Amino acid sequence: MKKNLTALTTCVLAAAVGWPVTAEAQAQNQTLRVRLNADIRSTDPGVNRDFNSDGIVLHMVEGLVSLREDTSVGPLLASRVDTSPDGKTYTFTLRQGVKFHNGATMTAEDVVWTWKRYLDPATNWRCLPEFDGRGAVKVTSIEAPNPSTVVFRLESPSALFLGSMARMDCGGAGILHRSSLGADGKWAAPVGTGPFKLGEWKRGQYLELLRFDGYTPRTDASSGYTGAKKAEVERVRFVIVPDAAAAKAALLSNNLDLIPEASSSDLQELRARQDLKVEISGTMGLNGLLFQTRDPLLKDARIRRAIALSLDTEEIARTVSEGLSKRNNSAIPSSSPFHSQVQAAGHKQDLAEARRLLTAAGYSGQPIKLIATKRYNSLFDAAVLVQAMAQGAGIKIDIEVLDWATQLDRYSKGDYQLMSFSYSPRLDPALSYEMLMGPKDKQPRKVWDNPEAQARLAVATDSADRNERQAIFDDLHRRMLEEVPIVVFYNGADVAAMRRNVTGYKAWPASLPRLWNVRLQ
Amino acid sequence: MLGYILRRLLLTLPTLLLVAVAVFVLMRLIPGDPVQLMLGDMADAAQVADQRARMGLDAPLPVQFGHWVHALTQGDFGRSISDQQPVLPLILERFSVSAIIVLVAVALAVALAVPAGLMAAWQQNRPADLLIVLGATLLLSVPSFWLGLLLLLFFGMHLGWFPVIGYVPLSQDLIGGAWYLVLPVITLVMIETGVLTRMARASAIEVQRLEYVTHARAKGVPDWQIVARHVLPNAFAPTLTLIGLVLGNLLGGIAVLETVFTLPGLGRLLVDAIFARDYPVVQGVLLFTALIYVLVNLVVDLLYPLFDPRVRAP
Repeated sequence: MKKNLTALTTCVLAAAVGWPVTAEAQAQNQTLRVRLNADIRSTDPGVNRDFNSDGIVLHMVEGLVSLREDTSVGPLLASRVDTSPDGKTYTFTLRQGVKFHNGATMTAEDVVWTWKRYLDPATNWRCLPEFDGRGAVKVTSIEAPNPSTVVFRLESPSALFLGSMARMDCGGAGILHRSSLGADGKWAAPVGTGPFKLGEWKRGQYLELLRFDGYTPRTDASSGYTGAKKAEVERVRFVIVPDAAAAKAALLSNNLDLIPEASSSDLQELRARQDLKVEISGTMGLNGLLFQTRDPLLKDARIRRAIALSLDTEEIARTVSEGLSKRNNSAIPSSSPFHSQVQAAGHKQDLAEARRLLTAAGYSGQPIKLIATKRYNSLFDAAVLVQAMAQGAGIKIDIEVLDWATQLDRYSKGDYQLMSFSYSPRLDPALSYEMLMGPKDKQPRKVWDNPEAQARLAVATDSADRNERQAIFDDLHRRMLEEVPIVVFYNGADVAAMRRNVTGYKAWPASLPRLWNVRLQ
Repeated sequence: MLGYILRRLLLTLPTLLLVAVAVFVLMRLIPGDPVQLMLGDMADAAQVADQRARMGLDAPLPVQFGHWVHALTQGDFGRSISDQQPVLPLILERFSVSAIIVLVAVALAVALAVPAGLMAAWQQNRPADLLIVLGATLLLSVPSFWLGLLLLLFFGMHLGWFPVIGYVPLSQDLIGGAWYLVLPVITLVMIETGVLTRMARASAIEVQRLEYVTHARAKGVPDWQIVARHVLPNAFAPTLTLIGLVLGNLLGGIAVLETVFTLPGLGRLLVDAIFARDYPVVQGVLLFTALIYVLVNLVVDLLYPLFDPRVRAP
């Protein structure tokens, strides 16, 4: 109350004497209201998380490295990263004077403590397999030779080490202060180094982040999750609004300031409003049609290829994304630096060839079941278009609509013929292919089981040679177009809708909202 | 009377046990894995299996059921798979939101529907009756989410009279909190008034045809006295049964309205939990709902003799 009175008095006085800073002072004290479509699972980075949890946690914690705007990896809490010639030792030099939310200065000991916690199976960090040898990397030791240096030693070199550290679903491997845990050793709340700290979390209703006034920003330009960050507003309130129509109504009536992921079908209406503006960005998520290559019918590559040739993927991309996305038949997102000319090549609709292949394969109109969900409209819409286009080549497709949990279950078991599916963003091309490739006997969710191609991928995963990696990815793309275990349609696009007084908000390929450097005018 | 109440309460135990078994089995029969949902499309089979083991989901179903029931007998509804919160406090917190809206809305709906039904019956086949029946049918036909959105768009967005999203507990701010509940309550009142009006009208028409009403009319008793003294008490009992059923249903959650108006109620908790395959929460909410249903109907049964002296509690 006293604080409000003081602020009010200041504003009145400022108005009386005509201080030009009044508007800025008011803006600094404002609350940015942002829509969240569902509550988060926890505030523990990379532990019991989902997409929303990652988005919020990454405002409070920061890792040694993080993603730049183009999703390459750059230093964040580290000022520099040195790699030994054999690629097995990474030396991180920490930035000086970085403070935790409790005022303590971050040291190398904090980094070691945090990483030991992550690497302890009891923590249940979702990315533990990526660093304990089950995945691409095995960390053999983490040491702090001095307060500003941390040395990671790996069993073998890996091109994915820094990228895995920066992964959003890993909580960016955010560095934490010990007081993030309670006296019982259990998770309490994040005491990190991010530009915001945790405020009130009213489960099912809202979660607030408060500006961390002791934040030490980087001096380089803001880029992705790294570079200069400044919390411009005093408070960010994530309001949980599950219903999209209610969220839109709230934005239009000034009950919300920002919807980071508005429906693309509302784009025209939102653009037409004088009091709103929209931000659009391509994302690294991948939408496509999965084939079960072990299905009695679809194990014949000619039939898979015929289905691919029956589709106008450019039209699917344009229609489903409301014109926001372009066709991309590659597993590598179009925004990736590895998306070469070779990757740009794709399937072209050719109904005559499709029919020829079907005849050669002895296809006689057997119905093929295509699984889709209405949880994500784009998946269902794509399925409907696939069904209609395939019919043009004489292929009979029946759509089976499932709820998302059931579809995900069927995906993980490989229990489908065709599936309209969406993959979350992978930030390295090797990971983009890894999500598709693997032995189906051990991992039924994998769509492409080709040992020779997997061996090539393993080389790309370990190699630090960019040219070698590019050549391998191009080769994999050619093989994938030929074998058709999947038809990739496009990479998604995010539509962020906001009130016109919101400035500085940018959508970006990694999708998660970033609310530093965002102002209310 | 006390013995009757105790017997009825005891009879709820087998009902709840049946509900517990049904809910537990049905949830496990639905395809979908909470761990897979939690870990997403990046997790491999080993990670999923590891996490399932940590959460005790790899144990045989009878063992899992046994653990759950054993914990229930000690008042422990378990913890949410999604956010690790204890289930019972979560249910009670969410129930308080739904209960306020439902109780206020049903009370208002009864206050509107019973007089409207009596008037329609008394004016049967006249313009007033047709108008009331038309109105009630219209309200019955309107989907609640559509009506809610319409009210939200007009009163919230266009006129700006009410907040479009959010919720403030009444315990925190009575007036401010009530402001958030106006539109959901109005929506529910409109929907339920349609149902109850038709029931009240039908019951009143039946009673009006009885001889004692004709006799009263022949004696020249004023209309309002006939309605108030003879028709209302006898026609209200069937309506009361319906009120009990409506209350039981609604207290179990008004998921659609809670979603439209972003209210953190029991229905939204249940729907979210089903989508997340959050077994402990779904099981807890459904068991709680069943208990509420049984209790509401017990209360209705106990109230019945007040309106219909022919019915006496054994």
